Amino acid sequence: MDEAALKTWFVGSVLPLEPSLGRMIRRHCRNAEDVIDVRQEVYERALRGAARGLPATTRHYVFAIARNVLIDRARREKVVSFEQVADLEELNPAADLNQTDRQLDARDQLRRALAGLDRLPPRCREVVRLRKIEGLSVRDTATRLGVTHHTVERQLTLGIRAITDFMLGGDGRIDRGDHPSTREEATR
Amino acid sequence: MSAADRIEERAALWLVQRDEPEWDASDDAALAAWLDESFAHQAAFWRLEHGWRAADRIVATGAAVAEPTPEERPARWWRSTALMALAAVLVLACCIGLMVARGKPEDAPQQVRFATAVGERRSVELADGSRVMLNTDSVMRAAIVDGRRRVWLDKGEAFFDVVHQADHPFVIATGGHRVTVLGTRFSVRRDGSATKVAVERGAVRIDDGHPTTEERGTIVAAGDVAIARGHSVLLAARSSDGIEDLLSWRTGVLTFDQTTLAEAAEEFNRYNRRQIRFTDQKAAQIRIGGSFEAGNIDAFARLLHEAFGLEVEHDTAGVTISS
Repeated sequence: MDEAALKTWFVGSVLPLEPSLGRMIRRHCRNAEDVIDVRQEVYERALRGAARGLPATTRHYVFAIARNVLIDRARREKVVSFEQVADLEELNPAADLNQTDRQLDARDQLRRALAGLDRLPPRCREVVRLRKIEGLSVRDTATRLGVTHHTVERQLTLGIRAITDFMLGGDGRIDRGDHPSTREEATR
Repeated sequence: MSAADRIEERAALWLVQRDEPEWDASDDAALAAWLDESFAHQAAFWRLEHGWRAADRIVATGAAVAEPTPEERPARWWRSTALMALAAVLVLACCIGLMVARGKPEDAPQQVRFATAVGERRSVELADGSRVMLNTDSVMRAAIVDGRRRVWLDKGEAFFDVVHQADHPFVIATGGHRVTVLGTRFSVRRDGSATKVAVERGAVRIDDGHPTTEERGTIVAAGDVAIARGHSVLLAARSSDGIEDLLSWRTGVLTFDQTTLAEAAEEFNRYNRRQIRFTDQKAAQIRIGGSFEAGNIDAFARLLHEAFGLEVEHDTAGVTISS
């Protein structure tokens, strides 16, 4: 499996599942912070498996992996909740299968992108606007707003993550409260 | 911050940096190496790349541009008005300068014309430092009008590497269409009444040039190809390889992938006075792929003979191919 084919499969068949995959993960994760970790692990395992050959039904394949990841994590937890594991083992991937995952059309995408932009913190929104709509480089943006290169990069990475999350059915909020350099910046 | 968080953060930073003007081949290699390190890196990067691109619809209509918040509007308005006034003064000063220097007021604003012959390819630098590679059999004019950098592509195809100046839009007119530059590197091709735009980096807006619909242009982002005909614009996402292939003429090479011989011949015929012709549809519909020297139809014909056993006849008018 070459990388381009793997990427085409991932972007075209796996990512459109993210809205329902995200719902399933959130339902079974006790900590909101774990959602990104679980999702990332599901994608990593999905790619590793698919690199040896694409699955017949991507949906079944991805949800089966998600179930395994959630079970593994529940077992690793120090205080194991037996109900939780039992719950997961009972988990029927088919329950998530009756929803249709449709690709957003251009109009939906626009509406969603605008709503996602709206949810960004004001400074982040301005940086994303300058980048996406006016096509300014990081340096030009920094000069225009009178902030450092580093700040613009940080705001842009935040914006990319939040908008992607929102475009793929999440709530568009990236919590970075525990990030050391965010705090550092605030005290400057 | 978890490992997944850190990977996502790094992936987002790669995306930011890849859009920067300083990005070069060594950065490409560094990104490829990072992606090869793990499936986790690939998953995070591909996901953000996809989501960030999907959000390009934000700019699909100029009208949908997020309005500045009320408190910042007056200052911004004043600033842009002041800049426009300054630009107008500068343009006026340039015009007066030109008139004084040349003593011919009818020449202002100065227009520069560039043209290439069939098979010729030419790289030119415009007054603002932007570079243009003009493809075979093309005509282009450039001028600065009202502070706007204007280019008219009267015929043919050109690849633009535009110096970014936020206050001086770079606008290319192709008869029925107008391409407004929001980013940096892209090609524009004129085919009769259709305009074809392929963007390598940054973004451009394409509209039909009508003042009332100016705000309703379509944004073509990096990796996209847009074909505009009349009021309709078709957007097709291409892989970055696909874009590279479309732009390979810059090095004198034509690249085809699953292209019929009829289409390939049409491409070759843009570059050569001697033309390729087919005597039957069967040969014309064969699909081929590969890279070829644009100026060498004899070598191309020879390969067709060797690969498909097609009959080839050479004469001064070109080559005739039959099955």
